[in-house]
Amino acid sequence: MIEQVRRQSVPGADLTVPPILEMAGISKRFPGTLALDHVNLAVRPAEIHALVGQNGAGKSTLVKILAGDYATSSGAISIDGQPVAIHGPRAARQLGIGIVYQELSLLPNLTVAENLCLGREPRHGISIDSRRLLQESAAALKALGLERIDLHRRIGHLSLPTRQLVEIAKVLAQHPRILILDEPTAALAPADCDRLFEALARARAGGVGIIYISHRFQEIIAVCDRGTVLRNGRVVSTFATRDTCLEQLVEWTLGQKPDRYAQALAKDATTTSEPVLAVSSLAIGDRVADVSFQVRPGEIVGLCGLLGAGQDEVARALFGDQPAARGVILWKGKPVLVHSPRQAKKLGIGFLTENRRDEGLIPDMAVRENISLAGLHAITWARWLPLVRRGKERAATGTAAARTNVQAGALGRPIRLLSGGNQQKALLARWLMLDAELFVFLEPTRGVDVGAKAEIHRQLAALALAGKAVLVVSSDVPEILALAQRILVMARGRLVAVLDGTRATEEQVLLAMQGGYTHAS
Amino acid sequence: MLPSARARARRPTGERGKTRWTEHLIGFLHTFGVGLVAIALLLIFGLSTPYFLSRANIDNILIQISIVGVAAIGETMVMLMGGIDLSIGSIILVSAVITGALTTNHGLGAWPAIGAGLLAATGIGLVNGIFIAGIGIEPIIVTLGTLIAAQGLGQAILANEGSWIQVTNPFFFSLATDQVLTLPAMAVVMLAFYALAAVLLRDTALGRHIYATGGNRRAARLAGIPIGRVVVATYALCGLCAGVAGMLEIAQLGIVSQNVGDGMQFNAITAVLVGGISLSGGKGRVEKTLLGVLIVGTITNYLTFRGVSAYYEQAITGGIILAAVFLDHATRRRAQ
Repeated sequence: MIEQVRRQSVPGADLTVPPILEMAGISKRFPGTLALDHVNLAVRPAEIHALVGQNGAGKSTLVKILAGDYATSSGAISIDGQPVAIHGPRAARQLGIGIVYQELSLLPNLTVAENLCLGREPRHGISIDSRRLLQESAAALKALGLERIDLHRRIGHLSLPTRQLVEIAKVLAQHPRILILDEPTAALAPADCDRLFEALARARAGGVGIIYISHRFQEIIAVCDRGTVLRNGRVVSTFATRDTCLEQLVEWTLGQKPDRYAQALAKDATTTSEPVLAVSSLAIGDRVADVSFQVRPGEIVGLCGLLGAGQDEVARALFGDQPAARGVILWKGKPVLVHSPRQAKKLGIGFLTENRRDEGLIPDMAVRENISLAGLHAITWARWLPLVRRGKERAATGTAAARTNVQAGALGRPIRLLSGGNQQKALLARWLMLDAELFVFLEPTRGVDVGAKAEIHRQLAALALAGKAVLVVSSDVPEILALAQRILVMARGRLVAVLDGTRATEEQVLLAMQGGYTHAS
Repeated sequence: MLPSARARARRPTGERGKTRWTEHLIGFLHTFGVGLVAIALLLIFGLSTPYFLSRANIDNILIQISIVGVAAIGETMVMLMGGIDLSIGSIILVSAVITGALTTNHGLGAWPAIGAGLLAATGIGLVNGIFIAGIGIEPIIVTLGTLIAAQGLGQAILANEGSWIQVTNPFFFSLATDQVLTLPAMAVVMLAFYALAAVLLRDTALGRHIYATGGNRRAARLAGIPIGRVVVATYALCGLCAGVAGMLEIAQLGIVSQNVGDGMQFNAITAVLVGGISLSGGKGRVEKTLLGVLIVGTITNYLTFRGVSAYYEQAITGGIILAAVFLDHATRRRAQ
């Protein structure tokens, strides 16, 4: 009785209200796997319903069923109590289902405004009414507090987080009745997350049923009303966020008690040696100016900042992916020019980005060949005979894969079939095999599940222990605090603070990140 | 129990469970479909006319397909890399004209003449690659340009040499008539090149780089692959293959005339597509191109044998492309 009363007091989780969306006994079979096994999910109007689980737990499959991308193998879907069949994305839209994908669906060559109104452009007879197009898209951005985004810019020229915000605005502008967000905050800085949450609260107040997928459990507890945990394609638990806690969520998703990160390991590493990398007065176009720092062997340096503060650009400059970079880069004391990723690789710089799909994976290649791709020169018969030695390749990729805990059985499969976490581990193995000396990581755990995240953190710590220099760019402040011995904070394209990672608090880092915005620079 | 053992025990038993037989079938068709089609065609044609599977006709088919077969190797590499080469027909003409003219009218031996022809072919491929990689122009535009330019060049040289060249050099004659290991020499040349290409694509750095560039160009660049060099090398190799096809053309015809190589790029692309390599690149194998060549060649041979007019032949070939692309598309979607 008490239990029931408490549930009812949770906004949006009033169990007496009939669900707007109900999925009953949904199964989805793929050759060789059962991706979903009799999954039940009910979302009520004015509810934010979390969908939680590791990568490969079946969340994406469930979303794809609602999107009309997959047909179910068995089970029934009803909307407002009416059984429905979702034959394709168009049908999903007509049923009022709006989806914000993790992988963006914006067209890079169209402007922000054109993307926001794509497929439902206001017309003037047969031509597009461009004034209304601008008005409507401006309204869509304003609803999310994003007036600062230029409507006339091409999407391809925007940073990934900004694109993510535009994508969310686009879906919300269609006023869906059921809204699904697949890790919407993965690319967002805290301020932008707050904007998103406000917009979600507004949508909820309007009676929209929201499915919210995220790996950030704190966020789920703060934002969602109820939730469902998936593991291996099955529902493990359906909960009211009021009645749960972080540790409980982690335990449900993992199926075991959470591990502790290996930060203690990294922080023990002594760093008295000469810096392997020294950057001074680095400037990139008009976005970054006067950035200087050093990274020593055996050290993990964290680099963070708000969205667009320049930390991405700095990291990319180190890998030769920023043509406009100027300044002096000393590699082991010698000045070097890093004009291309190839040069960076030759120096011994490994690179792992947030954008696995576009910047890391060769999707149809086997995992093994993805790992060996950057290091082929080391496993050929001779310089003049560039034939890959299969045995050597197996050995080298096997060792690297074992170090990152990629299942040995997966090495022969195309990498696109792996879960996000395993893909990221395989890409890390690529640079381990090459024996790089400096590892630059851009949001290394973005969009990977809890288990893989802990493992990647352990990897980073192990790299530092093995004497490698590590630079981690992350907008996940707890992650930076857990890993880094020194924390570089950027704001408005400048380095504004260097903090001791063993002593700094989350508040200090967040405050420093705001720095450039409160003081005129 | 150890944690890992516990995790394993807890995994639902259904995960590796039953798969519907239709899904197995689709997966199987996706992998072996081209081979099955080739075998089925050989059987059907063979049963309908006993002559079809006779030794003489099989040799005949092998000789007929060897030219487009070798040309299709280069096209395969280019398409795997995510590009396309429309210029190979003209490259075949230029290389055949140069080699033919040098051995017949200028008294060079077969080998130096072949060297010169192949060098010219590779050179045109290099030009393609440099324009595409260095200046960043779309491959379809660049190779259309070289198609027309090389065509003009080839015709001009040919006009200078007396508008056609009868090649009497015994080397080319024996290439067309000799048997090696009981197979026609031209077919052996083709098979040798397929073997080389298979090794190159699978086991060399360049081959891996070709797949990576076609599969995800940006990711390949960030993995430190010299994309520009890979593109140039691939187009050069495609030119070289077209040059070899030109040499085989001389051997088969004995005459270099204006229409040598004409439209060969389309035959090669047809074979590549029938073999299941998509225009987007990154996926497929050169062995399947050989099957594609075999399928198209077999059908052409059968239609000719049956006295079907060349016009219908063309219509049917076009139909085959559409059917192949449809089948590939359908099975690919289901297999994922």
